[in-house]
Amino acid sequence: MNLQRTAPLHSGAGVPVCGRGGRLFAASTLSVVALFVAGWLTLIFNDVVYTAREAIKETRVTETDASHPAAVPGLPPSQTLFQKLVSPEITSALWLSLWTSAVTVVIGLGFAIPMGYALSRYRFPGHTFIDSVVDLPILLPPLVIGLSLLVFFQTAPGRLIEDLGLKFVFQKKGIILCQFLDSASFGIRAVKLAFDGVDPRLEHVAMTLGCGRAGAFFHVALPLARRGIVVGGILIWTRAFGIFGPLMVFVGAVRMRTEVLPTTIYLEQSVGRIEVALAVALLMIALATVALVTIRLVGLERQ
Amino acid sequence: MICIEGLHLSVGEFALRDVSLTVEAGEYFALLGPSGSGKTLLLECICGLNRIEAGRIAIGDVDVSNLEPRQRGVGYLPQDYALFPHRTVRHNVAFGLLRQRVRRATLEARVDELMEQVGVLQLADRLPGNLSGGEKQRVALARALAVRPRVLLLDEPVSALDEQTRDTICRQLKALQRTTGTTTLHVCHNFTEMLAVADRAAVIYGGRIRQVGTPREILQRPCTSRVAAFVQAGNLLTAQARLDGPWLRLTAPGGIELIAMRPSADAPAEGTVPFMVRPERVALSATAPTTCPAGTTVLEGLVQHVADLGPLVRVTTVCRGTELLASMGHREYNGLGIVVGSRIFLAVAAEDVHVMTT
Repeated sequence: MNLQRTAPLHSGAGVPVCGRGGRLFAASTLSVVALFVAGWLTLIFNDVVYTAREAIKETRVTETDASHPAAVPGLPPSQTLFQKLVSPEITSALWLSLWTSAVTVVIGLGFAIPMGYALSRYRFPGHTFIDSVVDLPILLPPLVIGLSLLVFFQTAPGRLIEDLGLKFVFQKKGIILCQFLDSASFGIRAVKLAFDGVDPRLEHVAMTLGCGRAGAFFHVALPLARRGIVVGGILIWTRAFGIFGPLMVFVGAVRMRTEVLPTTIYLEQSVGRIEVALAVALLMIALATVALVTIRLVGLERQ
Repeated sequence: MICIEGLHLSVGEFALRDVSLTVEAGEYFALLGPSGSGKTLLLECICGLNRIEAGRIAIGDVDVSNLEPRQRGVGYLPQDYALFPHRTVRHNVAFGLLRQRVRRATLEARVDELMEQVGVLQLADRLPGNLSGGEKQRVALARALAVRPRVLLLDEPVSALDEQTRDTICRQLKALQRTTGTTTLHVCHNFTEMLAVADRAAVIYGGRIRQVGTPREILQRPCTSRVAAFVQAGNLLTAQARLDGPWLRLTAPGGIELIAMRPSADAPAEGTVPFMVRPERVALSATAPTTCPAGTTVLEGLVQHVADLGPLVRVTTVCRGTELLASMGHREYNGLGIVVGSRIFLAVAAEDVHVMTT
């Protein structure tokens, strides 16, 4: 028996453009899209050109250094840009960024799915207030999260948590905590909107067909909200991957320990190695693009 | 099979109040009411989707008032069918059986049998988004019947369909109910739908059950003028009533006088009363009838308007300033040679004049 579970994607149908007014309207909206994308691509292109130029320049210098008869024995030779990028500091930061943001997505969705469903389906006193609190981190400057966490872990409850062995301040766990607090709201909002779009009547029917409340959730609401959940995951990951401000305050910028890629960019540019900072930024852009396209293809297109 | 006693439920400013209703086993029962009358809410109470505040709901011998929907043994077909959009037709029909962990061979046989029964077998691998309204309705029906419910609850199952499909589906629903013997409660707001399917029916509005009876009784003998208006009584008037031997004489505004049967004990016998005459019970003739049975009222009027309603013709007449409707088949109409503006005679038998309580 062929029990197909998934529906094909309904990619937005093209709207026919008719008449002069219609063409003008379409052109004006599309030109805004073009302006935005072109602005970003110009910035990235300039970064690429600058980095490439510096890389070529450094390669020449390095070759000259190595063959120079006056090269001082014992001193390390100058590194090329590529060598700097694959240095232990930066690869460690890359790995730390990737796994902490991945863990944050899992934890974030672990909160976003039940919270999004509860806020979408149930009405209770204070619903509007709680809904607003969920959105607070979206409005706050990210730095505030780091400051608040730092202050919290100076108080009795914070110290108690640390005494129990869960140390966050200047620890890798602190990175995940910062990423989670900064990004979860985006995921919760996206998931709630997804559940808002699922007709509760479908769950009601499922309940008359043998499901309990939880069964109706798992068999009906969750599969139908999958698209929004994937979007929520993407939002959490992008936010977590690029977080910087709170980390500087709460976990610091200790090389090989609490250094993630945004921290690397900051550290490199602060010592004047702009080309390395830009190269790391480009690496982040490339990674983010690959990840987002993959998630979209795997998570969204299948629906 | 379904026994509701003193049910009460408030939702915002609306409330179902003191609802009591009994649907017998194997009966096809229609719940008729206008939009916002509380019929869907009542259906959801029986399903268990709304927890009642007072009263009792029993299905069979079991008080289900506090049971979860899945424990009530009901099959529910909501107004918009609510097919699971991410599952194929086959999987929609199989949904309830999968939850019951029925053996695969049994499940497949049952699903195929049901899809064939409702005529959607050829659509088995399609997704609901690609189905027409009638096909969706059939799939939703098969899905509800798959779990062999003790009671089938249909919430306006044909209201979203075109008239032709509606008639076909109504006939199929009735035939299917006869075959399966499932007690069925069918919510509708169209009295022709009620006539097409129901063994018995109830009229609900304002959150209260107003009348229970056979469809014919509700159509011919509505208990209140509101019910009469809802079942499109046609000629709905108020009159001064007075007893006159075996008859009740009704003097309507404009001075037209009709004769009704002497009312039963609970109906008003004097004073201002609402009454109705169904248009199909008004006989028209071009000349004054020479002999009439006792109790027949003959009125003289003018033809104001003629409307072709397809199977019927509706003639609007005016008798002393009061508008009265008559309807008949085309053959009868053609034999009368009616012309707008011509003089016409209307004959109404006393038993066709129905006096209501309010």
